[in-house]
Amino acid sequence: MSTNPTLALLILLFPALGGLVLAGRGWRLPRVFTVIIGPGVVWASFVCVLALFFGGAQGDYTYWTWIKSGSFEVPFNILIDNLSIFMGLVITGVGGLIITYAVGYMEHEDDASYARFFCYMDIFVLSMLLLVLAGNFIFLIVGWALVGLSSYLLIGFWYQRRSAVVAARKAFVMNVIGDVGMILGTFTLFANFHATTFASVFKALPRADNGAVELAAFLLLVGAIAKSAQLPLHTWLPDAMEGPTPVSALIHAATMVTAGVYLVGRMHPIYDVAVYAHGAVAIVGAVTALFAATIAIVQVDIKRVLAYSTMSQIGYMFLAVGIGAYSAGFFHLLSHAFFKALLFMAAGNVIHAMKDEQDMRKFGGLWGQMRPTSITFLIGSLSLVGVFPLVGFFSKEQILGAAFAKPDDAAVQLLWFIGFVTALITGFYTGRMWWLSFWGKPSPQRPVEHPHEAPPVMLVPVAILAMLATLGGFIQTRALGFGPSVVSDFLDKVVTPQRWEESGVAVGLGVLTMLLGAGLFWYARSLRPWSARLPWAQRLLEHKYYFDEIYDAAFVRPLDWLAGFFQRDVEVPVIDGAVVDTGLITQWTSQRGASLQTGYFRNYVLVFVVGAVIIAVVLLARAFS
Amino acid sequence: MSTLSIGGQQLDASWFLLLSAILFVLGAVGVLVRRNPLVILISIELMLNAANLALVTFSRQLQNIEGQLFALMSMTVAAAEAVVGLAILVDIFRARDVEDVDDLSELRG
Repeated sequence: MSTNPTLALLILLFPALGGLVLAGRGWRLPRVFTVIIGPGVVWASFVCVLALFFGGAQGDYTYWTWIKSGSFEVPFNILIDNLSIFMGLVITGVGGLIITYAVGYMEHEDDASYARFFCYMDIFVLSMLLLVLAGNFIFLIVGWALVGLSSYLLIGFWYQRRSAVVAARKAFVMNVIGDVGMILGTFTLFANFHATTFASVFKALPRADNGAVELAAFLLLVGAIAKSAQLPLHTWLPDAMEGPTPVSALIHAATMVTAGVYLVGRMHPIYDVAVYAHGAVAIVGAVTALFAATIAIVQVDIKRVLAYSTMSQIGYMFLAVGIGAYSAGFFHLLSHAFFKALLFMAAGNVIHAMKDEQDMRKFGGLWGQMRPTSITFLIGSLSLVGVFPLVGFFSKEQILGAAFAKPDDAAVQLLWFIGFVTALITGFYTGRMWWLSFWGKPSPQRPVEHPHEAPPVMLVPVAILAMLATLGGFIQTRALGFGPSVVSDFLDKVVTPQRWEESGVAVGLGVLTMLLGAGLFWYARSLRPWSARLPWAQRLLEHKYYFDEIYDAAFVRPLDWLAGFFQRDVEVPVIDGAVVDTGLITQWTSQRGASLQTGYFRNYVLVFVVGAVIIAVVLLARAFS
Repeated sequence: MSTLSIGGQQLDASWFLLLSAILFVLGAVGVLVRRNPLVILISIELMLNAANLALVTFSRQLQNIEGQLFALMSMTVAAAEAVVGLAILVDIFRARDVEDVDDLSELRG
């Protein structure tokens, strides 16, 4: 076997090995092994991806036939192209930084939990890599379901907390809804093309029935929506913040939740044919972006603000891939991975120093006391707002520019407007978060008077991400209309290239958006008790548009009632009753039957003889009749 | 009615069958009314031999050797049955002195 297929396989094998070792022996080994193995295997994978990246590897490597049954054939194949290498770099690179950071963040756990945490993290990285390296739909589904599982395990990491367990269960159920969509979509494709590999399905697309492709695209979109926490399957993501902060950074910001964007990008031949489903992707993205941004305005938990902003930013990515600007969407995925992981980890530093307090109203005044964390958080915040020259500016404005400049499509301009308003709201809520947490006087309710800055193992990854968020934008300055566009050039070899150029007006509007967003960021400082003016709006937003309440009333409570009904009126009287009655009847008949058993020999003989006589009489009677 | 030749004399077959029936009823009544386990066993033997007599009678009457073969077969079974039955009895007598089978009623329901 030549080098590249081996490297591709090694990418998966390293985290698998790490997960296995930590699962099997981790809790018995000294902590130093966990510290080496946990992040080490991810970095080893990162090196493999880098080697493939610099080696310019391309190919669909088939190792062996995994399943063969009639016309159904699943090869064990890994797809290495620019898109999967790009995703692999994000997952292992940002993932490696976050898992290294977790070495410091999780230090208060006992040895067994510590090993368990890194075991889950390695399994997550394995699942996510499997998802993006899969060359057929079966592997895609396996990876897709496994990231859901590891997300469940990590959200419920502190399983002694009831809220964490409930949140984990909610996330899992929501994810399974998406998994079902994915599986049904795959069935639809298989029923039409009799193929499971991406390559053969895409090759067969031109002669396919359009309706079937639309159906498959919509079903796959259900999976993407659930995984990426878009409307209306978004309610699990804010609750998922019950997990440890590195989990939020890695899974619920940088990688897993962007799997939906990856899916649409990977399936771009399908979405290029299925125009309605493709339009739905953009609409869902734009609406979610605005929807989540408005909720973020009133949240007081710092991680929940970040969670809603994640939903909002992924909405941008969906908008981009939905209008056909795939590489813009993936550039935003990259930049979002940088600055959102940075924000989560910096927030983690604060939470760590504040003895697990997450309410921003109880922070305040950290600028003077936790200077490095404050600076990195500011960089992340400004990148999120999209301030020049941070990476968020280039990626977000490229999406908005692409939406504005898309020709011959008035509806896309409406989506641009939604994105524009969202960008302004983003400036506002990010400003509120930053000023509230770090500026001003320390809150009197603050749990720690003199917080300690985080240890180097937690600061260095944050600093690296801060540098990436500062300088990363210059690899692609398409938002300004000139300069390099490394990411787009790299990815356009795989995905459908954007067919139009951003106009000068779009660039101007991008700069305007940035200025307005930054202005609102500044404005948020002087506007502490702002919300009392619109009490009904505040109530609406604090209840997150009553989505949880609606789902509770529409699904949870009817199901609870149904379960109660079946338990009370079916399980106990019918099923349970049948079992108990069978026992009672047996008991009753055996008691009656036992009295025949006298124990006297002559009784038995008498019965026997009488029986023999009766039989003899019957036989004789028949013989003579 | 056919007759059977016994030692040069002709005898009606129904006499043999009648003797067989009487022996069988004697055995059956013995099993039912006697209490000594040993006597019960002997009564069972009596019933078996009554059946053997009937088998041999029919065999002669119908000029068919199978009946006699079957009689031999049932003698073998009777021997085996006697062995097993006596062994059980000996074992019971070893544990305790039983004069009446009604004493052995531990398996009452």
